[in-house]
Amino acid sequence: MPAAGPCALAVQLGPDAFWWTSVLVLVGIYALLGLSLNLINGYARMFSLGHHGFWAMGAYAAAWWTLQHREALPDVGVFLASCAFAMAVAAAGGLLIGIPCLRLRGDYLAIATLGFGEIVRIAIQNSDRATLGGSLGLEVPRALMAVTRETRGEFRLLWVGIVVATVALVALLVRNYVRSPRGRAMLATAQDEVAAGLLGINPVRSKVAAFAIGSTLAGLAGALYAHYSGFITPLDFTFMEMVKIFLVVVLGGLGSISGCILAAFLLIYIEQALAVQGSEVVPVLVPRLPAEWTWVKDWWQVEYALILVLLMIFRPRGLLGPRELPEVVRDLARRLLRRRGRARA
Amino acid sequence: VADPQPHWLAVLGTPGPIAVDLGELGGHVLNGLGMGAIFAFIALGYTMVYGIIKLINFAHGEFFMVGAFTGYFVLRDLELERLDLPQPLPVLLPFLAALTAASRASGTLAVVTERLAYRPVRRAGRIAALLTAVGVSLLLQNLAIQAWGAAGRGYPDPRTWVSVDAIPDPADANYWVRRVTVTTVGATVTDQDRVIVEGQPVTAQDRQRLREGGHAEVYRRITLSKETMQGFVLLALALWAPVLWFLVKRTRLGKAMRAVSEDHDAARLMGIPIDRVVSATFFLGAFVAGVGGVAYCATYGQVEPLTGFLPGLKAFVAAVIGGIGSIPGAILGGLILGVTEGVVPYLLREAGWEDALAWKHAIAFAFLILILLLKPTGLLGKAVREKV
Repeated sequence: MPAAGPCALAVQLGPDAFWWTSVLVLVGIYALLGLSLNLINGYARMFSLGHHGFWAMGAYAAAWWTLQHREALPDVGVFLASCAFAMAVAAAGGLLIGIPCLRLRGDYLAIATLGFGEIVRIAIQNSDRATLGGSLGLEVPRALMAVTRETRGEFRLLWVGIVVATVALVALLVRNYVRSPRGRAMLATAQDEVAAGLLGINPVRSKVAAFAIGSTLAGLAGALYAHYSGFITPLDFTFMEMVKIFLVVVLGGLGSISGCILAAFLLIYIEQALAVQGSEVVPVLVPRLPAEWTWVKDWWQVEYALILVLLMIFRPRGLLGPRELPEVVRDLARRLLRRRGRARA
Repeated sequence: VADPQPHWLAVLGTPGPIAVDLGELGGHVLNGLGMGAIFAFIALGYTMVYGIIKLINFAHGEFFMVGAFTGYFVLRDLELERLDLPQPLPVLLPFLAALTAASRASGTLAVVTERLAYRPVRRAGRIAALLTAVGVSLLLQNLAIQAWGAAGRGYPDPRTWVSVDAIPDPADANYWVRRVTVTTVGATVTDQDRVIVEGQPVTAQDRQRLREGGHAEVYRRITLSKETMQGFVLLALALWAPVLWFLVKRTRLGKAMRAVSEDHDAARLMGIPIDRVVSATFFLGAFVAGVGGVAYCATYGQVEPLTGFLPGLKAFVAAVIGGIGSIPGAILGGLILGVTEGVVPYLLREAGWEDALAWKHAIAFAFLILILLLKPTGLLGKAVREKV
């Protein structure tokens, strides 16, 4: 990691790049959450609404670990260990809720996991002020580098790198898992549990595995979020966040990896671009709305909800449907070519 | 407006201390039953809608909230005292009017929502429908914030608003601004100066400023005893539950609803107008929720755009505990959840866990998970056997 010495590259980001780096990191974190929920809701077809709970567990576990080792900071080892710890805690949570609740089906599973997510949040809210910060939130010491006015840009760039690498890694992992024998067993169980059982697949095992992997990855996203934002409160992990993660998965098309990342980008971009309207400088690649349209900013939460409803009405199977991006592009190209061929004939 | 009339509870006969001392535990049980009855009111709508189109209608809590706001405006602004009716009509009629208006407003909103948002996605699969419902819920919440402001407002007593100069007891903190009409300062008043806006409690400084700055009307926040309201809610539930049961079990509409719930396509082939039946179900469910909304806010003395969220979630939990799709289940689940929430934290605190009350909601959810583990389809839900 870049040591904050005199020879360190002093990166100064302009306001545009500054805005965009923060958007990209958020996109990465939501893409991670989407990918992990996709494994549970998209591939394994289990209806879970408790992902914000696993996310929160990961974030708080990483924060706790970092606080325990704050003398050693900044240290990459502590950072990595805190991520591993966060994943372990979230996995434990996933198994704790997963094993008993997988008897439940459909909406019953959804409401039980929703209950779990809320319990996690309430538990954090009521936690001891000294250990987990309670309802006031918890400051996470910087594990990788000290963030000052001068090193802010460097910090942002570093995080864009970390998040992009992690998303790529996790996307690869999810793809390979789905294609592996275990993944195929999971897909078969999702199609028809009884038939899969008759084929010698252990449905309980493949369901628990999907749930555990999904929650582990959510824990990782939580750890990254905690380290990046530097301050976490229980309000960061409300049911509203669950809705956003779910939206990423559904807009991406249930069971599509590239769709998930694309949807995370669109969602965060729209949200942030609406929120930034009306400020003095609008970042590059964000359309500036006429100044007299102040309602765009005042009403942005209404607009956000409206967009959500309209998208669900007009694209209920997601932006791309359950397909990967290359497939969609190939399809589109083929259709264009065919039209041109027909025109020539 | 002259000095307010004697408080209306005085008309009904001021409830003295309840003759039978229920003890602390009994008080908690009663509290829980009152809360549970409100859960049941909301849960009925969840369960009916789920029963018929298998949709978790997340916006149901917002129907409840809109009902509560409608009741608020009726109670605050209905100037029945102009009619010069004999007591206790001037106090009972506004309540009846509030309940009527609230239930109709909720019901209408539900029908419109169903038509515009849910019907187009009904064929698109459960998950799209669920997310649509969540989106509608967010939309209604944020619209309400835009329209009425995010701050909580005191829920009004019927007909007790007065001019700010006429507040009888200056130390009474229960008066809230109804509307600021004229300011003598006129155009020089900027937004920063107008600290007092509609729907805010009136403080001593405010009163001074209002007196100097013009004329303001204030209303009195509702000051019913919790016991009265809880009694009222339980009574209303006892009246409403048989009506709903009768509707579903003994009328043509109910028969059609049950048929649609059993098998959409078969029902359509038998000539049942599915869309109309679904609309009617939404209307009925939200109608009852509107009653619950007024009752809830009158019990807790406050209404805000997010009022519907937590009771809505809890009521859904109640519907699931009772077995979603079953009307007796919704009532049973609501009452059980209410009592659990009222009594268990209290018992835990007695047992030495001091923070137990802060964990009230977590305990409710833990109870839900426990019930589901023991009975995976709720207490009165039908177990669906998987066919191969």
